[in-house]
Amino acid sequence: MNNLLIPDSAIVRDVFHENDDTSTFSLQFTDAQKRLEYSFQPGQFNMLSIFGVGEAPISISSSNGSRENFTHTVRHVGSLTRMFAKLKAGDLLGVRGPYGNGWPLKQAHGKNLLIVAGGIGLAPLRPAIYNILEQPALFGKVELLYGSKNPGEMLFRHEYRQWAEQISMLLTVDDASGFDWNHNAGLVTALFDKMQSVPENTVVLSCGPEIMMKHVVKGLLARGFHSGQLYVSLERKMFCGVKKCGRCQVGSKFVCHDGPVFSYDVLENEPAEIIGVLGRE
Amino acid sequence: MLQEDHPLVKSAGAVSLPAAELNEFVAALMQKYPVVAPIPKGREYVFAQLEDAAQLAKDYQPTILPAKKVLQQPLETIFSFVRQEAFAEDGKCTSLGEEKICFVDNGAAVQKRILFGVRPCDVNSFNVLDEVFCKDLPDPFYCRSRHETLIVAQNCVKPCRSGFCYYQQTGPGLQRGYDLLLTELNDVYLLEVGSEAGRELLALHPFGAASSEMSLAKDELLAAASRRLPKHILTRNLAELLEENVDHPVWDDLQRRCLGCGTCTMVCPTCFCYNVYDKLDLGLESGVRQREWDSCKLMEFSQVALGHNFRKGRQARAQWRIYHKLLYQQRQFGKTGCVGCGRCIYSCMVDIDLTDVAGTLGGE
Repeated sequence: MNNLLIPDSAIVRDVFHENDDTSTFSLQFTDAQKRLEYSFQPGQFNMLSIFGVGEAPISISSSNGSRENFTHTVRHVGSLTRMFAKLKAGDLLGVRGPYGNGWPLKQAHGKNLLIVAGGIGLAPLRPAIYNILEQPALFGKVELLYGSKNPGEMLFRHEYRQWAEQISMLLTVDDASGFDWNHNAGLVTALFDKMQSVPENTVVLSCGPEIMMKHVVKGLLARGFHSGQLYVSLERKMFCGVKKCGRCQVGSKFVCHDGPVFSYDVLENEPAEIIGVLGRE
Repeated sequence: MLQEDHPLVKSAGAVSLPAAELNEFVAALMQKYPVVAPIPKGREYVFAQLEDAAQLAKDYQPTILPAKKVLQQPLETIFSFVRQEAFAEDGKCTSLGEEKICFVDNGAAVQKRILFGVRPCDVNSFNVLDEVFCKDLPDPFYCRSRHETLIVAQNCVKPCRSGFCYYQQTGPGLQRGYDLLLTELNDVYLLEVGSEAGRELLALHPFGAASSEMSLAKDELLAAASRRLPKHILTRNLAELLEENVDHPVWDDLQRRCLGCGTCTMVCPTCFCYNVYDKLDLGLESGVRQREWDSCKLMEFSQVALGHNFRKGRQARAQWRIYHKLLYQQRQFGKTGCVGCGRCIYSCMVDIDLTDVAGTLGGE
């Protein structure tokens, strides 16, 4: 029996500083066979280790079309992720995965997509965005609403020009003071009044702080969307990724295995006391 | 006395053993394998590896920690790692320029052993944990241990101090999940064979024949024990009652009383959650990744980076434990998360009793 808790080794090939506290790391498995075998779906995550520090679940933020290298976008806010800030090209990491179910992109074929992201929540959505950009014929209209604290904290800014050629984008920030900013100000949900997306034939993908997703869901339901077309990606503490450590349980679901992406109709009838703010109040 | 090649032993589903000879049988088992069994510790009992058959507690209250601790140890090393050339040959190494990191799988070797005198509630907890750890994506540690552990179980002919196993269909008599099953009948033990491996153990000691009277006596004793259990849990419509009563005042009461100490989860035979951390040696050249039992009753359990906690309040945590035991674990794994051992009730410093909670929800 393999010890599925032992990670594979990967080398940091490149580090890109997104902003003051977030970096994108391009990784490559040291083992050539593993590089060939490895594949993932947009929305899945890996368990990343720095040996001697610990291990945490981090979403994959690169295109699943490229398998030689893959990227993780990490915000340096926890005991482990703060150590990530010190990593440089050539350093060694442990990687296990991919885990989780990923975004329902196949179900979205032939349909319109509305993507609603907040802060670091754009990272797990970027593989989905690449997937759409690489195969535009498979999808209808695609719209991205993205909000962050301020313009400086927005992720992947250098890619927006290219994205905007194929998908319509609405950006908003809580506070633009000190920045040259000609987009929106306010919460991401305020963009619903400006968006083109309509409920008909649309799949919604959302990731961000859970309280943001709660308001996204509320706002869209009020606009005629139904819960079965809304998908959210949850964050929970995880120590294994394989339904064993028990940390990520949400009601009878394991976020690491049954999620992290859930259709909102799975969550809406579970009590908020048990599963968190996305549950039934 | 029947010898090992006697046809009765070979074919029988059951044999008998004079109570006075139990230690001799245990001593014979110890000759063959390490034997882990309940022994007295202070006024309580614990599972420990026997050094002498006389240590065995034949008639005991539930141990402080469940027998689970033998299969999912409270603290386990997942793997070791070291930064240097030429480490252990069976390790898996990665070279990176001058740097080399090697892993040693600490779960690789498990010794065969016997778990002796396990009660039906604890054996049933293994059946629950098998679903958690060994179904898809098997956990190497638990499943290797489980595979190498022979179960010599012991039926409860006397009720324990806070059990309600009968209502959870997990005792006081054991139906399955054993290699050998002992039932104490006055001055003789009835030994039932549950597996080929169990039958092989019978070759280690001479046994008498089992009679149909013994079988009847066993049934009567277990039926009597069922009637005399100290606790009862409402099971009818319990899932529906839990679903419909998330806001019931009983949860406020629980929040006021619960200390959030985590004892109920530490003594629970079906709790499986764990914490993981790395430890480095002082020279920063080698280290280990370990896992340790953890408790959903502790505040930090659901806390993520930046301090957000998905179950911060004591009520949320107290409620979660009971919902997971009595509702969600059934949905997740098809088996109830409560085997009715009563350890959480006996151990609780403020007398929280999940049978009372279930009863209150049912209007009892």
